[in-house]
Amino acid sequence: MTTPTTQSSPANPSAPATAHPNVSAKAESALPTVATMPSRLPGERPTTGIPFSRLTRVELRKQLDTRAGRWLIIAIGLVIATALAINFFTNGGQHSFEDYLSATMLPTAIILPVIGILAVTSEWSQRTGLVTFALEPRRTRVAMAKLVSAVLIGIAAFVLAFALAALVHQAAITFRGINGDWSVGGLVVLGAGLYVLLGLMQGVAFGALFRNTPAAIVVYFVLPTVWGILGGLISWLDTPSQWLDMNRTMQPLFSGSMSGEQWAQLGTSVAVWIVVPLVVGILLLRRAEVK
Amino acid sequence: MITVERLTKRYGPFTAVNDISFEVKPGLVTGFLGPNGAGKTTAMRIVAGLTPPTSGTTTVLGQPYASLPNPGRHVGVLLDASAQHAGRTGREVLALGAALMGIDKSRVAEMLDVVGLTDKEAGRKVRNYSLGMRQRLGIAHALLGDPEVMILDEPANGLDPAGIRWMRDLLRGFAGEGGTVLLSSHLLNEIERVADELIVIGNGTIVAHGTKDELLAGAGTIVRSTDDDALMAALAEGSIVSRRTATGGLQVEAEPLEVGRVAAARGIVLTELRGGDTRGLEEMFLELTSGSAREEVAA
Repeated sequence: MTTPTTQSSPANPSAPATAHPNVSAKAESALPTVATMPSRLPGERPTTGIPFSRLTRVELRKQLDTRAGRWLIIAIGLVIATALAINFFTNGGQHSFEDYLSATMLPTAIILPVIGILAVTSEWSQRTGLVTFALEPRRTRVAMAKLVSAVLIGIAAFVLAFALAALVHQAAITFRGINGDWSVGGLVVLGAGLYVLLGLMQGVAFGALFRNTPAAIVVYFVLPTVWGILGGLISWLDTPSQWLDMNRTMQPLFSGSMSGEQWAQLGTSVAVWIVVPLVVGILLLRRAEVK
Repeated sequence: MITVERLTKRYGPFTAVNDISFEVKPGLVTGFLGPNGAGKTTAMRIVAGLTPPTSGTTTVLGQPYASLPNPGRHVGVLLDASAQHAGRTGREVLALGAALMGIDKSRVAEMLDVVGLTDKEAGRKVRNYSLGMRQRLGIAHALLGDPEVMILDEPANGLDPAGIRWMRDLLRGFAGEGGTVLLSSHLLNEIERVADELIVIGNGTIVAHGTKDELLAGAGTIVRSTDDDALMAALAEGSIVSRRTATGGLQVEAEPLEVGRVAAARGIVLTELRGGDTRGLEEMFLELTSGSAREEVAA
C-alpha cells in the first residue's frame, strides 16, 4: 500500500524490482527523490479541436483493449465456431450457405450489442468519463465516435462471419461431399448486416439512456422480448407490434421480399427502438454529471 | 489562469457551492483547502466542465473549459485517481490519452519516468495499483499534454511524506515556469507545504483567501504567560482582541512586539511569544471550518 521507504536506492526508480534483493517483487517503486520536470512538447499548442477520425480511433481501441471487450469477441468466436461445427457435423453437413450464414450471424448479432452498451456505460461504471469528457468536452462528438466505432466493429464482425460461413460451407462441399447451395438473396445479406449493425447502434443508444451497465443490458434484452410476447398474446396489440416489434419487422428481409408497407414498418420500428433512444440518450449524456 | 465567478451549485435543497468567486493566478501554486464535503470537488468538477453549474461562470485560460480546443494540451486534470478502467494497464491509460491528444507515443514512457513507475508496474492492470500508484499515474496523465494549467483534486492522498515532497517540488517547478496550479486538500499540513496561495472553503462558501503569508499574518500572535487572565485583561484595556486557544495560551490580534510591551508594562511573565505560525493557521482552519466539518456530505 505505502511506498516502501526501506528501498535501498530510491535514486534509481526505473530499475526493475529484481535489482533490489531485499524488496519483494510486489513492492512499489519509489518516487524519484528529485522531481524532474517533464520536457516541453515541441510546437505551438493546438488551436483546433480533436479531429473526429482520431476520436473514433481512440474509442475503437477503448472498446477492444479491456478484458470485457476481448472476452466478448472471444465468446462470439466460440459460439460461431460451435454453430458452424454443428452445421458441419449434423445431417452430413448438408446445409445451404444461408444456413451457415444464419449460424454465424445470429450469435454475432445477439452478443455484439453488449460492446455498444459497454462503450457508453463503462465511462460511468469505471468512471473513465472523468478523463474522457475532460479531454473532449464536446460530448455529442464522443457519443458519435462511440457509435461510429461500434458500427465499424459491427462491419468487421459481419465480414468475418460472412467469410467464415462461406469457408465452412466450402469445406463441407470439399470434405463431406455435399451439394453446395450458394444461393443467397440480396435482401437476406442486407437483413443479416442490418441485424448486426442495428443491434450495435441500439446498444449504444440504450447505454447512453441508462449510463448503467446492468440496467442497460437487462432492458436491452428483456424489453423487446416482452414486447414481442405481448404482441403475440394480446390481440389488439397485434397491429402496433407489426410496426413496432423489430423481430417482426426484420422478418420479411430474411424471407427475401419486402413490400413498401414492410419497409415502412421496418423504418418505424428502427425509429422507435434506435433513433429515438439514441437522440434522447445523447441529450441526457450532454447534460449528465460525470462522476 | 482560472476564474470562478459567482458560482453556485445546488442538488435539490442542498447547496454544495454557494456563490463563490476566486481567481487562480499563473506562476503560483494555489491550494484549495476545506474539510470533506465543503464543495471543493464540486467546484473543480464544474471548472473542468464535468458538472453543470446551477449559476455562475468559470473560465480556464480566458474561456469556458468546454470551448478549449483539445483541452488536454492546455489543462491537466486529475479529479479522482481511482477513476480509471480497472482492466487497463497503466501504460494503456497513458497511451489512450496521448493518442486522443495527438502527441507522440514516446511521451508515455517519459511521463512514466517522471512519476517513477517502472516498466513492470506500467504493464500491470490499474486494479492492482495501490492508491499511491494511482495518484502517480493520474499525475502522469495530467502532465501528458504539457499543460499550462493543472487542476488536481486531493493529489497527495495515498502519497507518503516523501511523495508529498516530490509533488511539492514538481508543482513548484511547474509554477516556476509560469504554470497555473489549483490543488485541493482537506489536510492543512499537506497543503501548506505546497501552496503559495490558499483558498479556504467551508460549507460551500469561501471563508478565507490570500497568500500563505497574509493568512499567517492574520493569525496574529501566540502568547503564553504565567497569568493568562491578567494578560487578557491588560490587552483588552488597550483594545487588543485576544482569545484562548484550544491548546492553552492566547491568540492575539496584534504583533508580538505590542503584546510584549503590554506584558512588560504589567510585569507579566511570558513563557512563550511568537508570531502566528502554521499552528495559528491550523487553528484558524479548524475554527473556520468547524461548522461545516460536521456535515460529512460527499462532495
